[in-house]
Amino acid sequence: MTTDSDYAKHEHHEFLAASRLAMANASLQSSLSLLGTSLGQRNREAFEAFADSSLMRDKARAIKDATLADLDKHLETLEANVLKRGGQVHFAADGDDACEIIVGILRDRGAKRVVKSKSMTSEEVHLNPALEAAGIEPIETDFGEYIIQVAGQRPSHLVAPAMHLRASDVSKILSPVAGRQLPEDATQLAAFARERLRSGFATADAGITGANFAIAETGTIVLVENEGNIRLSTAMPRIHIALLGIEKVIPRLDDLPVFLKILPRAATGQKLSIYTSMITGARRAEELDGPEEFHLVLLDNGRTRILGGPLRESLFCIRCGACLNACPIYRNIGGHAYGGVYSGPIGAVLTPLYDGLAANRHLPHASSLCGACQAACPVKIAIPEMLIQLREQLHHESGELGWIESLAYRLWARAMRSPRLYRLATWLATRTAGRLWSSGWMSRLPGGLNGWTASRDFPAPAPTRFRDWWDSEQNGGPL
Amino acid sequence: MNREEFLTRVRTAAAAGRAYRVDVNADIPDGAGYVGGGGDLAVCLAHEIAAVGGQATVVDDLAAARTALGALLELYRPRSAFCWQHPLLDRLQLDELLAERKIAQSNSQSLAALSYDARRKSMLAADIGITSASFAIAETGSLVMIAQRGQERLASLLPPVHVAIVERAQILPDLFDLFAELRRAGYDNLPSNLAMITGPSKTGDIEMTLTTGVHGPGKWHVIVVR
Ligand code: SF4
Repeated sequence: MTTDSDYAKHEHHEFLAASRLAMANASLQSSLSLLGTSLGQRNREAFEAFADSSLMRDKARAIKDATLADLDKHLETLEANVLKRGGQVHFAADGDDACEIIVGILRDRGAKRVVKSKSMTSEEVHLNPALEAAGIEPIETDFGEYIIQVAGQRPSHLVAPAMHLRASDVSKILSPVAGRQLPEDATQLAAFARERLRSGFATADAGITGANFAIAETGTIVLVENEGNIRLSTAMPRIHIALLGIEKVIPRLDDLPVFLKILPRAATGQKLSIYTSMITGARRAEELDGPEEFHLVLLDNGRTRILGGPLRESLFCIRCGACLNACPIYRNIGGHAYGGVYSGPIGAVLTPLYDGLAANRHLPHASSLCGACQAACPVKIAIPEMLIQLREQLHHESGELGWIESLAYRLWARAMRSPRLYRLATWLATRTAGRLWSSGWMSRLPGGLNGWTASRDFPAPAPTRFRDWWDSEQNGGPL
Repeated sequence: MNREEFLTRVRTAAAAGRAYRVDVNADIPDGAGYVGGGGDLAVCLAHEIAAVGGQATVVDDLAAARTALGALLELYRPRSAFCWQHPLLDRLQLDELLAERKIAQSNSQSLAALSYDARRKSMLAADIGITSASFAIAETGSLVMIAQRGQERLASLLPPVHVAIVERAQILPDLFDLFAELRRAGYDNLPSNLAMITGPSKTGDIEMTLTTGVHGPGKWHVIVVR
């Protein structure tokens, strides 16, 4: 059973229980209420600079689609260009592979401590526990990530991982680390983190990052951030290791400005993030800072399975978080309730794809299909359609529907195919339920159907059939 | 997993996935998304810099820039400065300006002489970073920093205050223009590190309250010479 503390800590399949806890969590609710009005609003304003922002989105979409069609070639080009710059490239089929490769590199060089920048991909492969098991200390350096690392929690938002916490929570979490009572003030808490993390940067043996994009034709990786911790992680330690999901490759350097123009606008409403780094290999011999070694780890971990199938479009995602901010469900329950690494509408697609549909059967239903996510998405990903496809897939798997529900659907389908049956059924429904529930709503469906009415009312049939009403209004013959 | 197996798996999946390609809008005109600076690029740059939380000063000539920089040194009273070696800073006579005020300077020349650890210590100790930039982008209010000997990455990052001096000729109207410049220079000449800086270091991680200086400089000044 999911409890208040552990739904924020572990991945789980308790969507309904976790949602209920989330809705009862006052501090979470107050943070969530800021999303639509602040981030969502800024996002819309930032896109107004374009004569037609829709074209930029189409362009990004077209680049993603074409890249994925020949992903193998682009990966080979990327590899060749990283090698040309003196970098090394590694191939990880799954999360365990990725961890093994990274731990291997660090062990060979006797590394004891690494600074990490925020990377959903490293969350996905569970890199931190693997490093710790190998006796290597990982320090999360993004302020939000650092807080939740200390708290032992998971990120609750793609872009703002600790958005579920208030300053008072953060003070409680960080005070034991400080060894004194920290004030409940965002600025002073950030100042504490700065001091604390500076020594980490200065003493770490390696920096581990993800990447927002990788450019095949130049072997460049691109990192977008606001704090500067990524720049520090890639400038101070002697080794830089970047972990990259293979869908993040784009073919040409000229493709990059298109994405740089839409990603920060969609994520936080900025024209550009405060720091955008384009890293091409390790430092050159004559330079005085920057890492001496650069490693790129290419990660599959289920991506090729998605790439070859109907939900391939989910790989267009640039992890901006705009769909989360726009989603009425996310804005009520926050990220932890989704149970996986990726939350919100895109998480409802990705988690079942990565971790199995049966175990995450609630997620495709965790959407009102209102379309707000697709409208907000800078790459126009058809998230609602993908959720419907997943629902269909679920219904084909046995055991998803109770026998009453599946009988009801079958009867309904049968009636829709035969005019006579349809007429009889509607006549029956109006004479029985239609007359009984004159309020127009049934607050409880009988037997196995009562799941539907547990959290909402069911529309009762009208007391008169539409065709009877039509006949009486028109005085004409039957339709 | 070995490379061949990995790439074969990708090849097979990419081929199978082509059946599911999406309908894309194929006729997007070149230049879609180009915004540009509009009007006086120096003024536009300064405006955008202020919009992202930086402090921009537009001046007419080098002498005025020197005065503006002097005022900032007066304000922050740094003991040590981590500086770029750059022709624009030479023309400003930065060395003299710092010497007059008895501010210790570390730059690539002094740093190269130190051991790895001593170098790191000296960089960490600086109170102010003084740089120029390779380019500035008027559209977004960004400085483009290209890493090379004499133009260290950490100068714009480690000290709590960063001051940059740029001149009109370095300003590009739009982000797209930067990529045109990189193309012109040749992709074989891409630097190991190119950073675009658009504001003081910021976080909104707690209750979306904006806090500056969480890792990088909390104070970001740009002097624009027209
Ligand atoms: S699905 Fe679209 S909106 Fe959601 S995170 Fe990905 S790119 Fe952003």
